[in-house]
Amino acid sequence: MKLCKIAVATLASALAMGSAQAVTLDITITNLTHGQSFTPRLVVAHDGSQDLFQVGETASTALAWLAEAGVIDDIQNPASIGQNFQAQLGGTPAAENALVQNPTNNWQRFGGLLGPSRTSAVYRFDAGDFEYITMATMLIPTNDAFAGLDNIRIPTEPGTYTYTLNAYDAGTELNDELNSARTDVVEAGTGNALGGYGVPGVAGGPAPTRVVDLGTGGTGVGAQVVAGEIEDGTDGPVHIHRNVLGDTDDSAGASDLNSKVHRWLNPVARVVIVVPQP
Amino acid sequence: MKILKLGSLPLLTALIVACGGSDNDGPAPTPTPTATPTATATPTPTPTPTPTPTPTPMAMFTISVTNLTQSQPMSPPAIIMHQGGFNSFMDGEPATFGLETLAEGGNPDMLISEAQAASEHIMSMRVMPVPPLTIGDDNTISIPASDVANLRLTVLTMLVDTNDAFTGTNALDISNMAVGASRIVNAPTWDSGTEANTETADTMPGPAAMAEGGAAEGFNADRDDLIDRVHFHPGVVTSANSNDPSREGLSTSVLTEIDRWDNPASRIVITRTQ
Repeated sequence: MKLCKIAVATLASALAMGSAQAVTLDITITNLTHGQSFTPRLVVAHDGSQDLFQVGETASTALAWLAEAGVIDDIQNPASIGQNFQAQLGGTPAAENALVQNPTNNWQRFGGLLGPSRTSAVYRFDAGDFEYITMATMLIPTNDAFAGLDNIRIPTEPGTYTYTLNAYDAGTELNDELNSARTDVVEAGTGNALGGYGVPGVAGGPAPTRVVDLGTGGTGVGAQVVAGEIEDGTDGPVHIHRNVLGDTDDSAGASDLNSKVHRWLNPVARVVIVVPQP
Repeated sequence: MKILKLGSLPLLTALIVACGGSDNDGPAPTPTPTATPTATATPTPTPTPTPTPTPTPMAMFTISVTNLTQSQPMSPPAIIMHQGGFNSFMDGEPATFGLETLAEGGNPDMLISEAQAASEHIMSMRVMPVPPLTIGDDNTISIPASDVANLRLTVLTMLVDTNDAFTGTNALDISNMAVGASRIVNAPTWDSGTEANTETADTMPGPAAMAEGGAAEGFNADRDDLIDRVHFHPGVVTSANSNDPSREGLSTSVLTEIDRWDNPASRIVITRTQ
């Protein structure tokens, strides 16, 4: 009987701890891929009233900015003002990577580019008394792939919790796999140069996070170059990314990505969240 | 009372179940009185009990590895039981020599030696290789019951028709499993980061390379991969579509599209039997 009492008592205290209380989480993320880098991470604690992304639903403009260009807030790119996650979530960061507190969420941008098989620094994140946490980071070089932690309930028991993240396709851009540095291809209709948000072409990072130089001369994978132009279409609501194809010819073939370097198999990231002792 | 020290959440449920008076089958409606108090009823005095050397209580597990891939044979898996605090490898760090020899050549012995040298080591074994599309044997492993409180399981095996891919578990927490309980893990595939993924007949040890008459070299001390750090494997490129206009495939690869796989590549089933 003694055992029973103890078990019940311990369980009661565990239940009592379930009540919400402000908590600061220690978060680390590991890039598990062979040749993809991660753009700065967006971490959001929220009350469940909003999703950064929802599989099967069309991406928000804010998600398109993150997944196509790696942009989260105004500081990163003024062209994104009013359209990015800063606009969607609310508030203004006082500085780069500063915590923003809103009535329904806390959000923060963390870190710079995180290269393949690198683990980030420890992010100290004030989750307030919000129940849920979501994270997102773009994979580069891709058109619109991102790794996401999808609305996890923040654990209330102190401890170390590990999650693996899959790569999603935001669906806001066709996966043409064309090098944005190319000048021999432009967006169909507008003549705009390839690049980040709203235009075709993969976003790529600089060395050393760009582990190999991208190719040129690809004819397109998810969309085809026609007479020097490439269409900026969409490919559905948010879904699990079908992976990049790449090729093994840097000056020809279908893709400007490298099939030996840039592919992945899910999961692409591991997130470790430490819930401290109260 | 020792059991209280273990007070983790999974144990709580175990304790509550224990209130019912049954070990495995859930709470019984009424606590059946145990027979031991009436044991004195048997009057015949037993002769002095044979002085058995106090046996160490043992915990016994069966571990099987299922090969979920279409055509990637698995090398003899290393099964290592150890305490928390030891890892055969860490994502994002360079592979040890033992991991390199397992991941490039399919030989688990050096990896096991490294584990045995660690103070956290409990028991390890090398078991039979697992062909593609095959449920592996139940391998029985027995350890002192006192070691289950902080028990970790590392199972590692190479996909041999690759340069340096391996699958398994990395210090999986299997502490305090109840007798009769099972854990099922669907495992990903790692790239040891120690050898470039050339997929040629000279650099891979498996049947695909041998069929092409290549050197089929396993371990090579050179570390010539893109990045010398353990990470998740990107999959094999294979020679499929290498000569069409897409140039997607790798023309020097001796692998074909059938040699591809997706995660999970293996399933590890752990059952505590005693």
